[in-house]
Amino acid sequence: MTMALAMVAVLKRSYSILLLLAAWEAATRLGYAPAALLPAPSVVLLAMARDATNAHFLGDLSVTMFRLFSGLAIAISLGVALGVSAAQSRLGPMLLEPLVRVLSPLPKIVFFPAFLLLFGFGSFSRVVLVVIDAIFPALLAAYYGARAVDEKLIWSARAAGMSPTACIFRIALPAALPSILTGVRIAIVIGCVVVFLSEMVAPEDGLGDAMIRAARSFDTVQMFVPLVVISLVGFLLDFAVVRIRNTMVNW
Amino acid sequence: MNTMPRYVANLRQALAPIAVAAGLLLLWQGAALLVRTSYLPPMTDILPLAVNLVASREIFPDLFATLARLFVGLSIGLAIGIPLGLVSGRNRAVEDFVAPLLGMLYPVPKAALMPIVMLWFGAGDLSKVLIIVLTVSLPLVYHAQQGARAVDEKLIWSAQAIGCSPLRRLMLVILPASLPEILIGARVAMVIGVIVTITSEMIVRQSGLGNYLFTALDMGQYALTYAVILIVAALGFALDWAFERIRRQLTLWAPDRQGVDIAVTS
Repeated sequence: MTMALAMVAVLKRSYSILLLLAAWEAATRLGYAPAALLPAPSVVLLAMARDATNAHFLGDLSVTMFRLFSGLAIAISLGVALGVSAAQSRLGPMLLEPLVRVLSPLPKIVFFPAFLLLFGFGSFSRVVLVVIDAIFPALLAAYYGARAVDEKLIWSARAAGMSPTACIFRIALPAALPSILTGVRIAIVIGCVVVFLSEMVAPEDGLGDAMIRAARSFDTVQMFVPLVVISLVGFLLDFAVVRIRNTMVNW
Repeated sequence: MNTMPRYVANLRQALAPIAVAAGLLLLWQGAALLVRTSYLPPMTDILPLAVNLVASREIFPDLFATLARLFVGLSIGLAIGIPLGLVSGRNRAVEDFVAPLLGMLYPVPKAALMPIVMLWFGAGDLSKVLIIVLTVSLPLVYHAQQGARAVDEKLIWSAQAIGCSPLRRLMLVILPASLPEILIGARVAMVIGVIVTITSEMIVRQSGLGNYLFTALDMGQYALTYAVILIVAALGFALDWAFERIRRQLTLWAPDRQGVDIAVTS
């Protein structure tokens, strides 16, 4: 009975996606859309399964994942550290806020040619791009999250003899955690998008390059595969963070 | 709390970004003089080039191509996204249908659809505008939905009681009440609109600032590359600044919100 209820709930939350995929599948199968231009979802899925054992594709995937995860790790740790400590210091409103106000609305991808010049076409320039793109959501979320911490908590801890550093780790950081995890969710999706685009704009290797290669040979199925894979990575990482937040932040 | 006179605070607020920008440019100049490589030309070479690109109107065709795509894409996105969001914020059935689709599209790199969409609609403006519309619609739908859901029920009941039709309720009650949230969505939409426009021009290089940028890079004109970067960065900042002023004026009555919403813009 509960099984059936859960099934209904899942269906309710995803039936429009299933409907869309079914319409897409039917459109190609019935010949309304030429398969060369719009391959059926089932064909793309089968190609994905085949690529999962293809060494070349796995190479592209691991290159992209390496760039994504190193970029995200740097962006999130640096952003959270800067944000939480700036929230406790007078430098926050003085220096960090104006800096963020200037830098965060800039289209960061436009700096990518500069990174290519300075750091070459390898992984480094792409990791730098992921870092400057993904750092702002993490930084802002940590900053505003830590600023919103009840000041009385900090005062009483300080009065009880806790050191400023201990205050950051034991009060500001845990209290800002829900906000930080929201920032991390945004950072993850931005990171996935940006790493893929960097590989498309200046193709060298990686999933984005795999898509460009497929486009050059008009292989539409293989054009879809890298796109679906990177979207799936973003979706699953985001899902994981939501799960972590729900279990960790239940107070 | 704050003893500063208001005009001093306002002045500081206005001058801080300028000071920050000047500081960053100075930092650049110092680094360039220190390193001395053609890959990192000094600001004293880049700035005059950037000014000249604008003064001589050389950048204008590409600038206008970019702005035109952005403007058309944003307008269509607003026309589709806001009504869709408002309706799905008030209607469970519509929300159950729309929300999963949004969730599915959210992590997809939209500009990366360019090579696929090009197969269907060619390499021209239609493909690019289509991708801009798709990108900017997502935050608009999301924020309009959040806004419509949070509308005070009493307002809607009163409108119902005086015999307001559903369409009039949507236009005269729900839309104005959701405006602060909608405008936050519009700000996000504009900033990511700039990003996706320029990125799509980088991927399919025909015209526009993204194309100009990579043409300069491919020809090895590094100072010019940086000059275009500067212009696009200034454009991104100026558009956001102008929009933020309009938004404040339109929603003076609503409590100001700050926080992660701004972060979504990057």
